[in-house]
This record gives sequence, C-alpha cells and structure tokens, in this order.
Amino acid sequence: MARRRLLLTGPSRRSRRGDVVGIALLAVLLVVFPLVATPSVINVGVYALIYGLAALGLSLLMGLAGQVSLGQAGFFAIGAYTQGVLVTRYDFGGLAASVIAVAVTMTAALLVGLPLLRLRGHYLALATLGFGVIVAVLASESDFLGATSGIYGIAKPEMNNRLYNSSTEYFLLLVPVVLIGLLLARNVVESRIGRALGAVNDSEVAAESLGVDTFRLRVQVFVLSAAYASVAGTAFAHWLGVVNPNASNFPLSVKFLLMAVLGGVGTVYGAVVGAFAVEGLDDGLRRLIPELVPGAVGEVQLIGFGILLTAIMIFLPGGLHQLWTTVRRRLAARAGPGDGPSGAEAKAPPDEGPLLAREGRPAPGTPLLEVRGLTKRFGGVTAVDGFDLTVDAGEIVALIGPNGAGKTTAFNMISGPVVPTAGTVTMAGTRVEGRKPHVFARAGATRTFQNLQIFTTATVLGNVMVGRHLRSTSGLLGAALVLPARREERAVEASARELLELLGLGADADRLAVDLPFGRQRLVEIARALALEPDLLLLDEPMAGLSGAERRDLARLLRRLRAGGMAIVLVEHDVEAVLALADRVAVLEDGVRIALGTPDEVRHDPAVVAAYLGVEPEDADAVAVADSGPAGLP
Amino acid sequence: MTDLLQLLFAGLSQGAVYALIAIGFVAIFTVSGVINLAQGEFAALAGLVAISAAGGGMLLPAAAVLAVSTVAIVAVVMERLVIFPVRGMTTLVSLILTLGVSTGLKALMLLIYGPDAKGLEPLFPGAFDLAGVSIRYQELLILAVAGVVALAVYWFYEKTLAGKSLRACAEQPVAARLVGISLSRASLLSFLIAGCVGAIGGVLASPIYFTGWESGLTLGLKGFVAATLGGLVSVRGAVLGGLLLGVLENLTAGYISTGLRDAVAFFLLIVVLVARPSGIFGRHAEARV
Amino acid sequence: MSLEVRGLHAGYGRLPVLHGIDLDAADGELVAVIGANGAGKTTLLRALSGLLTATAGTVRLGDADVTGLGPERLARAGLAHVPENRLVFPSLSVDDNLVLGGYTRRRGPAAERSRARDRALALFPRLEPRMRQAAGTLSGGEQQMLAIARGLMAQPRVLVLDEPSVGLAPRLVGEIFSALGRLRDGGLTLVVVEQNARAAFAVADRAYVMDRGRVVLEGEPATLMSDPRVTAGFLGGGFAAEVPAPGPAAPRPSAPGDGGRR
Repeated sequence: MARRRLLLTGPSRRSRRGDVVGIALLAVLLVVFPLVATPSVINVGVYALIYGLAALGLSLLMGLAGQVSLGQAGFFAIGAYTQGVLVTRYDFGGLAASVIAVAVTMTAALLVGLPLLRLRGHYLALATLGFGVIVAVLASESDFLGATSGIYGIAKPEMNNRLYNSSTEYFLLLVPVVLIGLLLARNVVESRIGRALGAVNDSEVAAESLGVDTFRLRVQVFVLSAAYASVAGTAFAHWLGVVNPNASNFPLSVKFLLMAVLGGVGTVYGAVVGAFAVEGLDDGLRRLIPELVPGAVGEVQLIGFGILLTAIMIFLPGGLHQLWTTVRRRLAARAGPGDGPSGAEAKAPPDEGPLLAREGRPAPGTPLLEVRGLTKRFGGVTAVDGFDLTVDAGEIVALIGPNGAGKTTAFNMISGPVVPTAGTVTMAGTRVEGRKPHVFARAGATRTFQNLQIFTTATVLGNVMVGRHLRSTSGLLGAALVLPARREERAVEASARELLELLGLGADADRLAVDLPFGRQRLVEIARALALEPDLLLLDEPMAGLSGAERRDLARLLRRLRAGGMAIVLVEHDVEAVLALADRVAVLEDGVRIALGTPDEVRHDPAVVAAYLGVEPEDADAVAVADSGPAGLP
Repeated sequence: MTDLLQLLFAGLSQGAVYALIAIGFVAIFTVSGVINLAQGEFAALAGLVAISAAGGGMLLPAAAVLAVSTVAIVAVVMERLVIFPVRGMTTLVSLILTLGVSTGLKALMLLIYGPDAKGLEPLFPGAFDLAGVSIRYQELLILAVAGVVALAVYWFYEKTLAGKSLRACAEQPVAARLVGISLSRASLLSFLIAGCVGAIGGVLASPIYFTGWESGLTLGLKGFVAATLGGLVSVRGAVLGGLLLGVLENLTAGYISTGLRDAVAFFLLIVVLVARPSGIFGRHAEARV
Repeated sequence: MSLEVRGLHAGYGRLPVLHGIDLDAADGELVAVIGANGAGKTTLLRALSGLLTATAGTVRLGDADVTGLGPERLARAGLAHVPENRLVFPSLSVDDNLVLGGYTRRRGPAAERSRARDRALALFPRLEPRMRQAAGTLSGGEQQMLAIARGLMAQPRVLVLDEPSVGLAPRLVGEIFSALGRLRDGGLTLVVVEQNARAAFAVADRAYVMDRGRVVLEGEPATLMSDPRVTAGFLGGGFAAEVPAPGPAAPRPSAPGDGGRR
C-alpha cells in the first residue's frame, strides 16, 4: 500500500517548503554548472534541460492525473516539427513560431486525450504509445515534412544581436525557461486544481462527490503536459538544427518516463534532476557498452534504462525524491525526537442552535430531491426495485432495512457512482441519474461513505479544503500564474479552518487525516461534505463504528444542521438512533420500499416487523400488536 | 476481385500472428490486471533465437522449440523477479515495470543479435496459386498453427482444472484463494502461457515479416489493439480482433497507402475505445477468459 | 475437528477492528456469531481463514496451530470459508464451481471427490438440474447453496460461513439453516456469522454476540434470546455505550419485535 501511495499521489501538502528550497537550490546549481563543466559535459547538460522540460510535463501527468503517457515524444516531435516548418519555410521568428507550435501540440493532445481519459489508465498509455509511432510514421511518409531526412537548416536563436550558438550560451538561454516551467508546475501542484487531483488519486469517488470533475481536470493536465513536451521540442529543433522522425521515436518516450520516475513522480524539480542523471547515464553507457561488448552499435544504452526503470519501481518507487526525504528524515531523527502533535480532544461546543444556515437556501418544505421508480438489476438479481422518495428542504429522512436490502445501492444511484437500470433522480430541478457524482454536487448535494473515503495523503485541513472546490473558481491557468489564485486560496483556507473550529476539529487541522482516531475521521468526512455548503447531505451509516458519546454528538450536529435548513438523508443500521432523529423513515426490503412514514408509523408497521425479524408477515402482525404496549417502547 | 482475395488472405495470416500475441495480453491481464508491455518482445525474441539457432545449423523445428522454451523461461523469470515482489500493483506501476523489462529485452536483443532485421528460413518454402491468389506455404502454416494453438488455449481454459482455476482467479480472486488456488501460481502460469503463445507467434511470423530488435514494439502494440477489440478479457475476442486487424491493415495497405498500414491499428484502437470500450466482440466488460 | 481462537487482534491498515477475540467451536458443534453491522464479524472470519493476517493471538485447528497461514494452506488444513455475498465464479458452470471447490483435493482419489459431490448435491438437490448452467445466472438462494456446496467440496473439517441469509427470502433462509443443521449432525464443525439472529439461533448449539470488535456475550441461544441486551446489540444501540436498566422509566433501545422475539 505504501508503495502505491508514493507513486500515485502528488506531493503531500506538507512538502510545500521543500519544493521552494529544491527549486532555489536547482537554480543556483544550473547557473554554476556551465561555469565549471567542460564543453562536452555542458553539451550533455543542454540535452538534459531540453528533455527535462518534457519529463516535467510527464511527471505532472503521472503525479496529478495518475495516468502515464508512453508517447510524450510524439508531442515533443509535433512541437519540434511545427517550429522547424514555421522558421525555415515561413520565416517566422523563433518566439512567435514557438507559441504556435505549443498551441498546435496542445490541440493534438486535446484530440487524443478527450476520448481516452475517461477510460482506465492502460488505454491512455497504449494509445499514446501508438500515437508516438503514428507521428513518426506520418512524418516519414510526408514529403512536406521532409520524409525520412526531416527538416533541416533551423538556425540557432538570435536575440538582441546575441547569437546563442555555443553550448554554454544555449544552456544559459534555457535555464530561465526551465525555471519558469518549474515554477508554473509547482503553482499548479499547489493550487486548487492540484489539491483536487491529489484527492482524486486518494479516492476518486469521494473527490467527485465533492464536485471535482475528474475527467475535465485530467484532460487539462494531459494537455498541459503535452505543452511542456512541445516547448522542449521547439528548443530541441533550434539546438540540433534538424528535426527528423526520430524525434518521435519510442526510446525517447521511454527516456522521458525514466527521467520522471527517477526524479520522483509528481515532485516538480525531480524531473529536471532525473533528466541530468539520465542524460549522464546515457552518455556514459554509450561509451562504456561498446567497450564491454565489441561490435555493439545503436541504442545500446537502453539496457541501462530498462534495468534502472524496473529497479526503481521495485526498490525506490518514489525515485530520488524518496531517497532524499528518507535521508533528511534520518538526519532529523538523529538530531532529536520531535514532539508529535498531541491529539487535543477539543470537544464540540455543546451548542444547540442552528448551524450553517445561509442566505438562498430553499425554504423548509420545498421538495429538493425527487426519486421516481429507481431500479437496479445486476445480472438476474434485482437489487432495488421501483424505489420512490421525495425529500424536502429542512428534514431528516432515514433509509433503513436489513442487510442486503439494497439501501447502499439506492444511495449510490442517487449520488451518482452507480448507474440505475431505470428510474429518475431529480435534485433541485436537475436530472442527475446516471451522471457522475460531481453533477450531483453541483446541484447542491453531497455525501459521506460507509467505509471512510478520507484523502489519506492530505491533512484534515487539506481534506476540508477539497470540500471547498465548488466554492472556489481558480482554474489551471490562473493557478499557474499565481496572482489571482493566491487570494482565493487564503479565503478557502480561512473558511475551512472556521468550519473545523465549528465542529471541534480545529486542534487537529494540520494533522494527517489518517492519523486521527476512527470517530474523528468520520467527523472529518462530514466536515469535508459540509464545506460544500450543500442543501442536501447524504450520510451512509454515519453511526457505524462510533462510540455512544460520539453518536450523541453526531445526532446533535445533524439536528443543528436541520435547524439551519439543510436536508439530510441517512442510511443507518442503528435503528434506535434513526427513530429518535428522523422526521420520516423509509424501509427497504429485498430492494422494495415496504414502508414510508414517521418513526412511529414505521415502528408499528407489520411488514417492517416481519422484515427485521425474518418471520412470515402473518406472524408479524401478532408481534407488532403484542409489542406496541408502552413497556416496550420509548 | 483477385486482389481483394489476395489481401484478405495475407491479412488473415498476419492477423493470426496478432491474435497469438493478443492471447498473451488477455492471459496475463485477466489474472493479475497487468498489461504486459513486454509481450511484443516475447515474440521478437523468439524470432531472433530461432533465426540464430537455425543459422547455426539447427533443424528448423528444433530451433522453433528452442525459441519457445527460451521465451517461456524469460516470461517466468520476469514474473518472479519483477511482478511477484511488488505488492499493491496498480495499472501505472505495472505499465512502468513491464516497460522497463521490455526496454531491457530490446537492448539485450540489440546487443546479442545486432541492429539488422532478419528472416527465418521458411519450413516449407514456396507458394502455389489458387484461383489467381498466390498463397505461400508459410502463410498456410501460420494459419494452421495459430488455429491449433488458439484451440488448445481455448480447451485449456474451458476443460482443464488449471485453466478453470485461472478463470476463477480472474473472476473472483477472493473466492479463488478460499478454495485453495494460489494467486501467485496463477500469475506465474499466466506468464508462462503468454510467453509460449507470444513466442509461437514470433517464430511463425519471422519468415515473412522479418524480425529485428525493435520488432516487438509494433507487434506488441498491435497485439494489444487486437486484444482490446475483443474486450481484453476474452480469448475468442482476441483471436477475432487479431484477424480483423490483420485484414484491415492489408486492405488499407492495398487500397490506400502502404505507409498508412501501421496507422490503422491506432485509429481502430481510438474508434473502438470511444464507441465500445468493452470491445466489439466482448459482450460485457466483466472478467472472462 | 475443533476450532480454538485466543486473543485474536486484526484490522485493516491502521484501523484495528478486532480487539482480542476468544472463541471456541468443539468438534461437531454449530456456533453462531451475531452482532450489528460493523461489529467485526466478517473481519473475524477473514482472520480465521487467513485472508487477513492477525496482528496478535492464536488460531488452532484441532491440534495444529494455524495462526498466520494463508487461505490456500488453511483450505488444505481442513477449514473452508463460505464468503459474504457468495462469490460464486459467475461465468463457470455450477459443475465447474464444484470442481474448483475440490481444488485442494485434486490429487486425492477420484472416488472421494465424487462422494463429496454426491453429499453436497444431496444437501441441495435444487442444484442438480442446474449443473450445466453458468453460476452467475442462478438466483440468490441457489448461489448461496452453491457457495456452501463449493465449500463442502474441499471436504473440510471446519466450515465457516459469512451471513448466508443476506438478501434471501425467509423461506430460503430456513432451508439453508436446516441444511447447516444437518451438516452439524453429520459431524462437521460450523461457525456461522449472522445478522439474522433468529435464524441462526434456531439451529446453533452455542452463540457469541460481538460488538465493536469484542465478544460481549456468550451462551446458549435460548438464554441469549431472552437477554434484552442481545436485541439492543444488533439493532446497533451499542453495548459499550450503556446497557439499559430494565423498566419503563429508562428509555431503552427498542425496535419492532423487541422483547425476546429475536
């Protein structure tokens, strides 16, 4: 599990400062490098910077979107070819040409990504692999693109009467480009978008229930990653002077991947560090192997790439970044044991007033959620059969029934993850059945999960901030460019902290959410849902696993939310809690709603008694009558 | 008309090779959820081993057996060294791991067999004419052997206890463990199958399509496309997908442009994934073999 | 063969679920384990059959210490686990499901395998006409019968079942539990985890009540059935919270059918 988390999640929110230090350190090293290295080494460095940019894009894609492209060289080649054609054939200036080249590449990425990013990860990987092959094939078939010999005669860039023709000059020209690329990438990782995608990697269904449109964000990151490859391609075209179909060759895509993985997927500066390491290795192996194996020609360095790639994934899945953090932690541990944050048991204030009332909430009594004829069949089994339910603003409705009655399936069809076989779900006027959970969230409703879906790599605060996703707006571009997004970030953090205080979680705000005890994690999940300011809150067995005191606190919280105008639907096994809390109760058995009414009505319903006791209905009548005496009931 | 028949026949025999590689993808994916990017290298390696053994004077059938056993060993070793030790395998991790193996194998082939693509001597050289269509004996051999192998694989999954145990792992891994099936052995077995069928495909293809250290890339990609056409979980689907892909490629090469031959697979992949992610021959997306 | 569990702790990742379970099932005894959702019943069974590694405690099967063995080894040692939600192999035929159930006995004598199969089919004659049908097309009740029959094909000495009554009509529940009773009468040791306490108590020799990862009550079904805490326990009122004092004054966790009908 640890291995999976290391690879599939973006950097945790705690590494913020580490990134800045890393980038600053890298900046210094990059400026010093050409002053101390020999020309042939600087030449290797130039390629490292160029390829590092492409690898950085790939690292973002893998770290944020959790997907891998095996055709990064394809986008690299599109950038390079476009640049070459524009500069040599149409006399474009280098800068103008590169803007167009990047735009062309991003369009291509959009066309590739749109159909594929909805599907499971291996399809994108294989399709991009195919894409890289096709780009090479089309380029070598096209006379316009110079067929196999490609486009040549691309001049070295010239700016302010300075010709960047030596490797030192070109290196220094590239350093600011790479640094800007790093900064933009870091801003994206740290932004609302990065936070949302990090959450997606921890729990896709939970992130979507909070309004994160996974598909859209993944497409954006994919296109961004191609843009990085494209910038690298334009730099490559000018440096080499020639672009041929080899620019899209598969080993180059493998190299980009190795750079990203070696540096540490999702870590911003890692890709550039990885690029230097891999280019150095490449250069060394090309010299070394022909000496070891006489007669070896061609891309023999690949043997090292293959072994390294496999070995990293098995032994060091977090790459050099993981090595670095481990070393630092060891050193810090030797320096003295730091005090872990104490789990301050801040109690929620025993307040009874309404909570989270706000302007513009539907007036109590207005129908909010309408479920009609909801049905789900799995193979031959009908899990839910023609389920109807209306929920009004400001009421608590409970859904109960024996294990296996179809409660959770009904719940999942209402909130999105399960597509119904038949029936409609209307939330605040929007039809949501069969749509993804984020549509449900946009309509003003969200949910919690029976088996917790906490974002494991984020702090309590980070978890709740994802809940503010729909209450903030900054997009990928704004995030990359920092300024407008920063102010919003502060507002999001402030409101998240306020909510945590309200729920008595303030003292735990900066702890990793998974470090909290079970009951508190459940509260974090509710806080996260409340951060959305929903009109309707769906809770799936919120009482399960809670102690008696925690149950009472939770019941009080739910009553206060109802007083604030929120509608709540809960699936619950704790019948006692349900009967005491709910305004209305729906009972499911074998997928059929067998009763709906006030707690008192349901309690005396013979069909309900039968369902819970597993007896035939005729006996149940007797039971219900016998047990309705005052002694047995509160 | 003769042209069309000629293209169809060439397409079928080429498609049979894709089908064998596709079966390898399906065998591994259903058991462990791993997309084995080294699947194409299995085929290329088998071709090269056979070529070099035959070049060294070994009888063709013996060379073929040697090639298939070599690749079978490589596949099994790969599973134990690279797949087995990793806990909590995800799609992303498995792709990178198998890509690493694929890259290493490529370079190894380059180091051992050099950069030039070669062809294996056909077992039955020559061709004959049938209704104006020129048919090479090797193409008939490909179809015959591929047919037999596909039937054998099908029989294995449908009729033998070991085959049923693999299907059980694919459908309900927890229940499979509870009845005493070892997932680790199932994974090993699936790699063994994938190695063998991929290698047979590689040896069969070599006399006609030539084999070089880089051949595995396109072979693997096309095998994957064929498997995807069949929904990625069905042997039958993989075989049909392979044949369809081979025929479409040859029709494209014959009627549109030879250069676009390799583009067909990619476009087909995109079209199928957009229109029917469960495959055009797959009835549903649940795990089946 | 007897089953003996001492001080068993287990959980998922960082979340401990079982906090020291002690449980015994004597040779030929049918033991029921009841409790509310989330009480840890399924976790207990997963730890027993090796799907989950216990963090502390021991499990003994007869004279052998089987703590920490994986499910494959445990299946060979004579413990069969019929999982929650049946988990039949849907695309395989009923027949093949049974064949795979005997996977651990595949090297044993064929006559023994066919005897096990005859016994399983005698227990659930409804499966007989469906042998060629894909298991996924069976009804829920038939799938449950198949799952049990599949477990029996391993010729186990101890059979543990996870909520065999889930999602089944009451009549079928009765049928399943009477079959379990017959298995016990034939000398098999059984541990049945259930929410449907009434059905389980009808055939069980002894029962345990679990709540939040602990065994909170143990005894004869007849005694337990008249204990008000049992009703509270699996309706979710919670034992650890407060055990209600009897009498109308104290609001008491209640539900339809309270008062020993469970």
